[in-house]
Amino acid sequence: MMRSLSILIVMLISSFTLPAQTAQTLFDEANDQLTAGNYEEALTAYQAIEQTGEVSGALYLNMGIVATQIDSLGLAKYYFIKASEFNTTQARAAEALEYTESQFSRQSAMLPKLPWEKAVEWLLEGPGVLTIFLTGFSFILIGVLLILLKWFTSFSFQKFNHTLSTVFTTGILILLLSFYIDYVNERYSGAVIIADETQVRNTASETADIVSLAYEGYSVTIDIKKSAEHKNWVYIRLGNGQFGWMKPEALKIL
Amino acid sequence: MTRTGKLNWLTGLIFSLFFVSSTVFGQDVSVSSSLSETNIYSGESVTMTISVSGQSINNIERPQMPPVDGLRWLSGSTSTSQRIELINGRPTVSYSYGYSFIAQRPGTYTFPELTIGVDGKGYTTKPISFNVLDPGSIDNDQSARLPDIYVRLEPSTTQPVVGEMVIADIVLYFKNTVEVRSYQPTPGWKAEGFWKEILENRLQTKATSTLINGVRFQRARLLQYALFPTKSGELTISPFELSVQIQQRNRRRDIFSFGLGQERKDLQTLPVTLTVRSLPDIDNATFTGGVGDFKITRTIEPAEAFVGESIEVTTTISGSGNLPLLNKPIYEYPETLEIYNPSESSNINRNNREISGSKTFTDILIARNAGEFTIPETNVAFYDPDNDRYRTISLPALTLKATRDPRSVNGSEDMLRLNVEPITGLAQWITPDNAPLTSRSWIWGLLLSPVVILGLAFWVKSYRDKMNTDTAFARAQKAKKLATEELEKAAASTELKNGYYHIYRAISLFIADKLDLPKAGNTTSELVQAVEDSSSSKLAIEVKRLLTKCDTIAYAPGASQAGMARDVEFAQTLINELNKAL
Repeated sequence: MMRSLSILIVMLISSFTLPAQTAQTLFDEANDQLTAGNYEEALTAYQAIEQTGEVSGALYLNMGIVATQIDSLGLAKYYFIKASEFNTTQARAAEALEYTESQFSRQSAMLPKLPWEKAVEWLLEGPGVLTIFLTGFSFILIGVLLILLKWFTSFSFQKFNHTLSTVFTTGILILLLSFYIDYVNERYSGAVIIADETQVRNTASETADIVSLAYEGYSVTIDIKKSAEHKNWVYIRLGNGQFGWMKPEALKIL
Repeated sequence: MTRTGKLNWLTGLIFSLFFVSSTVFGQDVSVSSSLSETNIYSGESVTMTISVSGQSINNIERPQMPPVDGLRWLSGSTSTSQRIELINGRPTVSYSYGYSFIAQRPGTYTFPELTIGVDGKGYTTKPISFNVLDPGSIDNDQSARLPDIYVRLEPSTTQPVVGEMVIADIVLYFKNTVEVRSYQPTPGWKAEGFWKEILENRLQTKATSTLINGVRFQRARLLQYALFPTKSGELTISPFELSVQIQQRNRRRDIFSFGLGQERKDLQTLPVTLTVRSLPDIDNATFTGGVGDFKITRTIEPAEAFVGESIEVTTTISGSGNLPLLNKPIYEYPETLEIYNPSESSNINRNNREISGSKTFTDILIARNAGEFTIPETNVAFYDPDNDRYRTISLPALTLKATRDPRSVNGSEDMLRLNVEPITGLAQWITPDNAPLTSRSWIWGLLLSPVVILGLAFWVKSYRDKMNTDTAFARAQKAKKLATEELEKAAASTELKNGYYHIYRAISLFIADKLDLPKAGNTTSELVQAVEDSSSSKLAIEVKRLLTKCDTIAYAPGASQAGMARDVEFAQTLINELNKAL
C-alpha cells in the first residue's frame, strides 16, 4: 500500500515538473545560441518554448534582446512589454523599453487616458480581476453568514438590516466591477506595430480610404470583438485617437 | 445665425445718382456728374446731378445748362444740397446741384460735358451716353406677369472647377411701387455639394435701378456667399429662403397708421445648377487642394538645434481662393527625425467679394541623433482657374544641423546603448491562465453557492419554526417515531396482554397524531372512522381488525407469542401504509 502511494506521488510530481524541465532545457539551448551570436536560431528556439505554453520573464526579456540584435525594434518592444509584466524582470524590461523607444524614428502622438480608463488599467495591473471578484464574493459570504446567524442564533444588533444591505450592495457592486473589468480586458487588447509601415483604412478593404499610417513601434489598442467581424483584418485605435482597420500581420497582440 | 438688414433708401438714391458718373479731380477739388437713369422711357423724368467736393471751396459758379438732345430741361426744378463729411480726418464739403429733365424722342443720345467754375478755376465733366426708349415697345402682358418682388441667387460663374470659388449673390428685385422695410434670411440654408462661407458686407445694402422686360425694378444685393464645389458634375444650389417686410407705396398713407399696411412675404430663390468640371491630373508635384491664386513658402526654425530640441517646419500658403480647404503638403523627412502631429492656423478675410488671407501648417520635428539633415526640395501645386492650369511652386531644400547638447552628452550616449544583459540559468516558468471569468465554471459555482446555502437554510428554518409553532404538524412529523417506539415495546413484551396494549397504543397514537385527534379518549370506532374519512375503507378495515384483536386478545383462544410477533410486524406495515395515506 505504501509503495503504491509513493509511486503515485512521484508520478504526480513528475507530471508537474516535466514540462518546466523541458522549457528550461530548451531555454538553456536557446541561450547558448544567443551567446554564440546566432540570433535568428535563438529567437526560433525561444518562440518554440513560448508555443509550449510555458513562459517566464527571462524568456521574454531574452527574446527582446535578440529582436533588438536583429534590428526588429517593434518586436523587441513587444517582448520587453511582455517581460515587464513579470516581477523578476520588470526593472530590466523597463530599461530596455526606454532604449527601444528612443530608437524609433517616428513616434506616435498619445492622447492622455481618461480617468476611468486609468482606473480600469490600475485595477487590472494591480489587484487583478480574480482578486476583485473574490473580494466581492467575500462581501456576499459575510452577508450570508450574518443572515444565518440571525436565523439560527439570537445574534442581532441595531441597524442589522442596514448593515446587511450595505454589505450585499458592496459585494454586488464589486462583483459587477470585476465582470466589467474582465469584459474590457477581453474586448480590448494592447498591441505593437512590428511592420516598418502599415496603412490604417477606414473600412476592412484594400481599396478603402487610408485614415492614417502606423509605423513600427506604435502602440495601438485592438477591439477584439469588432475585429471578429472581418477575417484577416483587425480594428485598431491609434494613440492619437484615430480608428481604422489594418492587417493583423503588421502587429503583435499583447 | 440670422442676419437682418435695412435698406437705406436715401443712401440708395444717392448711390443711384452716382451710378453713372464722371469725376474730375483738381488738387483737393473733385467735380462729377451723373444721370439717375441711362435707359429712360419717353416721358419719364431723369435727374442730372453735378457734385462738387473739396476741403476749401469758397466760390462755385453754377453751370449753365445747355440744350440736351433727347431731353427737355424743367428749368424750375433745380435743387441744391450740401453735405459735410470727414475724409481721412479732414472735413470735406460736397455740393450737389440737381437738374430735372423729361425724356423726349426715343433714340441714343449723349449728355454733353459741362464746365463748372470753382474758386475761379474751370472744371469740366465727362459726357454721358443715355437711351430714350419707346414706351410702346413694352410687352404689357409680360410685364404684368412679373411679380412685384422676388429674389434670385446669381452665381459669378456657372462652370467652375472643383474647389473654385463661386461668388453667389442673393439679390432682391422689387418694383418702384414696393417699399422694403427689412429682410431676414431663413436659417438652415444648406448648399449641398459645396463648402460655404458667408462674405462680409460692411456697406449698407444699396439699391440700383434696372429694367426688366420694360419694367423698372430696384435691385439690391442682400447677401453674398463664397461657394466651393467639392465634387464634379451637375450640382444644384438649393433655394435660399428669406422673409421681407414690405409696404406698397401707392397705398394711401395715414400718418396715424403706425406702420399698418405692412406685410411680410416669404421669398425663395430658384435652384441654380452649376456644371462643375473635374481638375486635370497632375504628376510632377504635390497638389495642395488649392484653387485660386496663392503664394507658398516653407521655412525651418531653428536651422541649428540640439538633439532632442523641437524644430518647426512652417509652410505658409497665402492668397485668395479656397483657403479653408487647403491641405498640408506632405514632405519626405529623414528617418532619424521624429515627427509629431502637425498644427495649423489660418487668418482668413471674407471681404471684397473674395476669401483671402493665409493658412499656416507647422510640422514639429525632433532630431534624435546629431548630424546634418536635408529636407529635400518639393514641388507643390495649386490650380489657377483664371488660366485653367496648375501652377507649380518649387520649395527649396531645407538643411537642419543637429548637435548634441554638451550639458547632457553623457546621458544621450547612454541612451544609445542597450545595457540590459540576457538572463541565463534557471528561470521561473508559469503557464498563464488568461481565461475570462465567465468561462470558468467554478466562478459560476461560487456565485450560485450563496443562493443554495440561503435556500437550504431557509428550508431548515421554516421546518424548525413550524415544528415549534404548529402542534398538529409537529405531532404528524413525530407520529411514526412514537408509534415505532410503542411497537418496539410490544415486541419486547413477554406478556401478551401488555404486548397487544402497546400495539393498540402504537396504532391509535399514530392515527391521532397524524389526524390531529385528541391524544387520549378516542374509541376504536372513532379511530376507524377517521381513517376511513381520510384514506381508504380497506385500510380502515385492517385498522379495525387489528384494534379489535388488541381489545379482545384477553378472550382469544390460542393466542401465542409468535402470533403477537406477526401482529407487531403487521402493525408496522400498517403504520407504513397509513403514513403514506394520511
